[in-house]
Formats: sequence, structure tokens, C-alpha cells
Amino acid sequence: MTGNGQPLILIADDDPDILALVAFRLERAGYEVVQARNGEEAIQVALARRPDLAVIDVMMPRVDGYEATRQLRQHEETSRMPIILLTARVQEEDIARGFDAGADDYVKKPFSPQELGSRVQAVLGRR
Amino acid sequence: MIGGLAWVSGVLALLSFLLVCALAGRRVALAHAERRRLSTEERLRPLALALVEGESVELPRFGAYESRALARVLARYARQVSGTALAHIGGFFEDRGHIAREVAQLESRRAWRRASAAHALGGMASTSATPALLQALGDSDRDVAAAAARSLGHLGALDAVEPLVYALVDGRLPRAVSAQALLSIGPDAVPRLRGLLADAPVEVAAFAVDLIGLLGEASDSPQLVELLRDTSAEVRAHAARALGRLAAQDASDELRRALEDRIPFVRVNAAHALGAIRDAFAAPALARQARGDEFDPAEAAARALARVSPEVLVAVAAEPGSGPHLAQAVDLLHVQT
Repeated sequence: MTGNGQPLILIADDDPDILALVAFRLERAGYEVVQARNGEEAIQVALARRPDLAVIDVMMPRVDGYEATRQLRQHEETSRMPIILLTARVQEEDIARGFDAGADDYVKKPFSPQELGSRVQAVLGRR
Repeated sequence: MIGGLAWVSGVLALLSFLLVCALAGRRVALAHAERRRLSTEERLRPLALALVEGESVELPRFGAYESRALARVLARYARQVSGTALAHIGGFFEDRGHIAREVAQLESRRAWRRASAAHALGGMASTSATPALLQALGDSDRDVAAAAARSLGHLGALDAVEPLVYALVDGRLPRAVSAQALLSIGPDAVPRLRGLLADAPVEVAAFAVDLIGLLGEASDSPQLVELLRDTSAEVRAHAARALGRLAAQDASDELRRALEDRIPFVRVNAAHALGAIRDAFAAPALARQARGDEFDPAEAAARALARVSPEVLVAVAAEPGSGPHLAQAVDLLHVQT
């Protein structure tokens, strides 16, 4: 939670268009947003800022979304942080792989920004 | 003579210098154009995002350059979003006349312009472009037709399903292009594909069956099961493969029967399907086929048996005269584990 009481959301994606779109939607919904452009940066930002939730793209350079999720689960500071994976890979085994890595939910690309906003709200509400 | 050579080499040196200058100048110009493009798109992105979100925004008066840059950003978003956001993008392109302009370009005498328009329409998220793109599928230029196919896929145009399947069969388009377009349309294409099973030529029906296997779900299996008894071996083989992909457990009995098909490649696909379904009841029949069938069906049966029941595979392979395929499947089992 940020100083002004807004939940802090981490968005990690290597595509600047997607980063901007998700940030725009979540900021409009009243969240504060921090951004990362790859999995490695996502882990660093998550450990430094301790966000309330992370939206992480699966296909990213250096460390992909699955691995970033797995590593975040191993750190005590982020082990309970809800993670939503954003993925174009929707085969059953890809989804299972995301949940195995520790994700709480996934959103399929192409995605509806409204739906993503609702998922974020729902996942935060469950905690 | 020496003077002449000196003169020629001087001219060549000067030409080389001018060429290097021209290349360097071109590189600087391209870098500058790229920087300008990126900064313009970055500047226009907040406006594009507001449009994607359907916020009411007053568009400033743009020059052609800015207008094209905004269209590019929105076209990129059209490939990333769905639902109402996509409808907002389509509405923008319709209202601002972009669709009509690009559709008119499809009539251009220059093929590159038609191809460029066909590509652009795919990013404009408006189904109003579908009829023009369907017509462009038959363009005499392959690049135009391929661009139209990709765009129809992006737009999820159901009316394109039938022509795309026919294009897949007759090779008018690169197969990867038509197949990818059909996959982009997604599961909504399945009813149209089912419609092709009854009357279409055998090759078309076979591809339609394959696509149902990729896009459909287990509830599509009854119609595919019927096709296991089709008079065409190609259709029977594709039906078996599709049932395996759908993991249609209801089809196990019929697939076991298909292991007895008189055509080897039907038996191959039936074995693969039973392996994918992991039908334990098929183990004895698969073991029998792996021991005594022709090369390809026997190999497929042994591999399927490895998936269905590794224990049975190991036991059968240890029997005398079990043949090379079962032994190979056991070896592969060890490699995988």
C-alpha cells in the first residue's frame, strides 16, 4: 500500500505499448503503478517496493514470467504477493505451468483492459 | 599512359568518397526519421490510450504525419486488446475515414499499395473491411492475398473460414499463412468448419477435420467419430488425429476399431490418438500391432503403448519375438525418465 492508501501494482512487460496500456487502466482505477521491462527488473522492483500485486507478462527477455514468479515466491518479502500472468500461451500445459510457478490467476492476450482491471480487483479482494 | 591511370584513379577515389558520404548521410537521415517516429508515437500514446479506453477526447488538428503515427499506435493496440477496447479502436478508424481510404487503396493498380492497404485493414479492428478483404483474398498478387488472409484472421472474420480452408488446400496462399489466419479466428470458426464436412471435396474436409482438432473441444467428437468410417482414408486418418488432439475419451472404442483399418496411415493415426487419450483398454491391441504390423503402424503403436501403459510396454517388450519397435519404445522410455 502506498503512502496515500492506494494499492501499489507492479507491471512487468517488455512491450512499452502494453506497459502503458495496463498502467493507464490501473491508474484510472485508482491504483499506483510501478513498471519493469523484464523479469529481472521485475524481481528487483518487487523486492524494493513490495507491491500489493504484480501483473507479469510470460514472454520476457532474460527472465521469463514463469521464472520471475518462481523466484518471487522464494523471497519471503514477495512470497505472498498475488501474481497475475499475462500470456499469449493458453495451452492447458502453459496455464498449468503458470499455476505451478505460483501464479494466482492468468489473463490471456489479446486481453480486455476492463477485464484485467476486474481481475486485479478480484484478486486483491480475495487477500 | 601513367597520367591517364592517375586521372582514372582520382575519379574512382572521388566517387568512392561521394558514395561513402551518401551512405553516411542516408544513415543519419534514417536514424533521424526513426527518432522522430518514436518520439511522435510516444507523444501521441496518451491520446491513443484514451481512445482505446473509450474516453471522450477532443482530437487536436493533426498533420498527415501525426495522423499516421496515431493510426500506427492504435493498430498495434488492435492486435493486443479485445472486447470493448477493440470496438473503440474500430470505431475511431471508421469515424475518421481510415477504413474507407484503405479499402479504396485495395483497388490501386500498384500491388504494393494493395498489399499495404490489406495489411493496414487488419489493424483497424473493424469488420466493415471484411467484404473488401475477402475480395482481396482472390487478388492475382500473392502478397496482397496473403496480407488479406492475415488481416481476416486478425479481424476474426467468420466469413473467411471457408475461403481460407480452400486456399489452404489449393495452395493459392502459403499454407502457413492460411493456417495461421484460421487459427487466429479461433474456436468461433468451428461451426463453419463443421459445415464443410458434409459436402466439401475430400482434401477440404480433411483440413477442416484437422482444424477442428486444433480449435474444437471434446464435445465436437461425435461428428469426428462418424468420419472414422468415411470412405476416404485421408478423412479417416485426419479424424483419428483430431480425436487424439481433442483427447476425446468417448471415441476410444471407435479408435480401437480403427487400429484394424486396412490403410496403414489410418492405423498410425489411430494409435497416436489412443496414446494421446491414454486409453488403458487399448494396451493389448497396441501391443499386438507393435509386434506384427507394418513398420509405421507398429512404431506408432509402440510409442502409444509407452504413453498408455509403460508397465505393459516393458512386459511385452521382454517377451521373445516382440520385435524392434517395442524395444525402441522401452529405450525411449528410459531416455525420457
